[in-house]
Amino acid sequence: MFRFLVKRFAMIPLVVLGVVTILFIIFKSVPGDEAAFVAGATATQEEIEAVRIRLGLDRPLAEQYLKHLAGLAVGDFGYSTTFRGNPLPHIVDRLPATVALTVSAIILTIVAGIPAGIVAAAFRNRWPDYLISFTVVGLLAVPNFWLGMLLIAFLSVNLGLLPSFGASGPASLVIPTLALAARLIALVARMTRGVVIEELRKDYVRTARAKGLSHDGVLRGHVLRNVMIPTVTVIGLQTGYLLGGSVVIERLCAWPGIGDLLLTAVSVRDYTLVQAIALIFVVSFLVINIAVEIIYRFVNPRLRYA
Amino acid sequence: MQRRTLLTGAAGAMLLSALPATTLRAFAQTSQGVITFGQSTAVLTLDPAHGAFTGYPGGYEAALVLFDRLLDFDADMTIVPQLAESYRMSDDLKSCELKLRTGVTFHDGTPCDAAAVKFNIERMMNKEINTTNRPLWDPISGVDMVDDTTIVIRMSAPFAQLPNTLAHGSGAIVSPAAIEKFGEDSFAQNPVGAGPYRLDSFNAGQELVLKAYDGYWGGAPGATGIVFRFIAEPATRINALTTGAVDVIDAVPVHLVGQLSGNADIEIARRPGLRPIGLAFNLTRPALQDVKVRKALNLAVPVATIAERVFFGFAKAPDSPLAFDAIGHRTVGETVFDQAKAKALLAEAGYSAGADGILEKDGEKLSLSFFAPDGLFPGDVAVAEIVAASLRQVGVDAAINKIEKGAYWDHLRQDKANLAWDMAMFGFNPSNASGTYHLASLFKSNADDNGKPDVWNIARYRNEKVDTLLETASSAPEESARLDALGEAQALIWEDAPYLWLQINENVSAAGKSVSGLGVLPIVFTTLRNASKA
Repeated sequence: MFRFLVKRFAMIPLVVLGVVTILFIIFKSVPGDEAAFVAGATATQEEIEAVRIRLGLDRPLAEQYLKHLAGLAVGDFGYSTTFRGNPLPHIVDRLPATVALTVSAIILTIVAGIPAGIVAAAFRNRWPDYLISFTVVGLLAVPNFWLGMLLIAFLSVNLGLLPSFGASGPASLVIPTLALAARLIALVARMTRGVVIEELRKDYVRTARAKGLSHDGVLRGHVLRNVMIPTVTVIGLQTGYLLGGSVVIERLCAWPGIGDLLLTAVSVRDYTLVQAIALIFVVSFLVINIAVEIIYRFVNPRLRYA
Repeated sequence: MQRRTLLTGAAGAMLLSALPATTLRAFAQTSQGVITFGQSTAVLTLDPAHGAFTGYPGGYEAALVLFDRLLDFDADMTIVPQLAESYRMSDDLKSCELKLRTGVTFHDGTPCDAAAVKFNIERMMNKEINTTNRPLWDPISGVDMVDDTTIVIRMSAPFAQLPNTLAHGSGAIVSPAAIEKFGEDSFAQNPVGAGPYRLDSFNAGQELVLKAYDGYWGGAPGATGIVFRFIAEPATRINALTTGAVDVIDAVPVHLVGQLSGNADIEIARRPGLRPIGLAFNLTRPALQDVKVRKALNLAVPVATIAERVFFGFAKAPDSPLAFDAIGHRTVGETVFDQAKAKALLAEAGYSAGADGILEKDGEKLSLSFFAPDGLFPGDVAVAEIVAASLRQVGVDAAINKIEKGAYWDHLRQDKANLAWDMAMFGFNPSNASGTYHLASLFKSNADDNGKPDVWNIARYRNEKVDTLLETASSAPEESARLDALGEAQALIWEDAPYLWLQINENVSAAGKSVSGLGVLPIVFTTLRNASKA
């Protein structure tokens, strides 16, 4: 376990360096002159050149790249035109909101998706199964921003139960969490149902039943443990999707996370800020993947000795 | 009872108690006396220098209540006193004497006197510190302090628009002591002005909280505070207003106005903007150098129908190269939709239909490369498609080239060799409301038509008469002579048709009934300066 962790964490700097390099290349090849954006629409060519020199954009690309790396090493993401300096403190300020939203969506997925899948499997081809499967198909088909709009219209505008936007207390978390988690809940429920049905057909289940265990006893004691492995995989992989989805949902619900900040940065052409947030998304994705691998080892003992 | 059941039940109860029913309705109410404004753009920086107030227009809207300026625009875009009690331009338009209001203090308690004003104007003149809005500030050559309440601003050349510059958002007067305290880089996050509201808390990109300033020279403002809240999504803004979570919203999309207009608790505020949208013709192309062709293209497009159908009546057909509320606007023509006449004009210009129905002359097809951005101007793609289809009906082939927003300006401001377009959608917003500034930016001859345009004369329009008239419009001592010259220039430009004139869009905002005094300025801004809340 220890060696595994060391190996995994040793990989992070390498991957991050690769990502930083790719992001740097992408942002240098984006159409549009960064200096001209900063200088504004009415700037003359001389003013644009002055800005270019001030931001160091006139230097050779290799030099800019090395300076960028040296800055990152000490937590300096560069000059953000939005915040007139290093954007890191502002990103860190926004991070908890995004983490809260993502974590609550995952918790909701676990407490709603897995039981729904098990119930559907246990009542296979009877009305609870039909009801759940029908809902699942619906949730998979609905785009999350549209579901979010419906939830706002219904829960907030019509019923007045919840705030329609922003982050003013725990109740504000409900609508974005539902909108963000809906697709993942459906995915997990559908998969859990399939895996449970498959497991119930296996020999060990028949043996257990033959030995006199009840249907529920087999389900709880044996089947569920095996169901957890693919479920953890799906949830882990989909957490990346949650980060992407959070951009849309944060904007829709005016939730003050980094996804919302990313879109603001794009709209004012703050390349430094966009680059910094993209990097943070990538690093979170890496960390989540490692966390998933660690959880595997708890869920599936076979992996511990591999 | 099993332990597991107990735990589940307890967890459920905890979840439920987190949402006590009695507090639920309270979420959807704003505090008394405080106006909450759901803005479509985030407030990011609050400094008139260093790139000015961002994002646009959200930052300017906040600046309008946080800072006072020497002069102000009233609702009809007429210039009125603010921190200056009066001003007098010299006869040669090369200097201006301003009498300052006495006893004015900044939010930090320091006096807003002649020394502070001098500091501010010199700060805006400094190209290193103030990188944007240069055309407004470059003509100023110096400031003299006559006494504690009198200053004289000097210009290097006659500059009739000086009052417009001082009334412009970037004319905000900031506290010199605060610049000293926070430094040039940090003032934008810690703004201190002399306006009716002072800073309470600022979370850039999310929320700006202002409180009424007790020491304001004009007495207590109409609200005890203003909260600027960034809500990017139009539907969410509308929902927030409907539930009463915000009091005011801006940028209501015209197709969503219907959701609000039926609501008795909500009032819609609308005002035509200062930015006429049009298609700039590339006048370096031989086909477009013929004024008959340009006029024919203008006749072929149903502009009034576009205003009516695409924008649900929240747009108007123009009657001049300037928008209705620009200072010096004069009605000089009207948009006419007459495709038969368009065809006749094109025939006169020597064009006849080819085998595929596209007009041609000397074997050269009338095929135009048509650049339009996606999402930069209201309904740009829809309008572009209607224009292209209309031109097709008179035998002109216009191939739409949809350009990504970020790269669009670069495509427009190219040197001649790299101009890829024959027609390009463009709209200029004269942020100081001056018609002279608008026409000079778009239609004053470039120094060199082969290079990049000096300002925004991307069409490469060149008319010596217009140049002379614009010179008169900015330097004649008599105001009436300036306005006449400007009017004549509008007529000449309209007749020369260097643009295919399209619509002028309205700015639409909405407010709850408890708010009164909401203003929508033609320069995009929704202003809460005179707003109060019951």
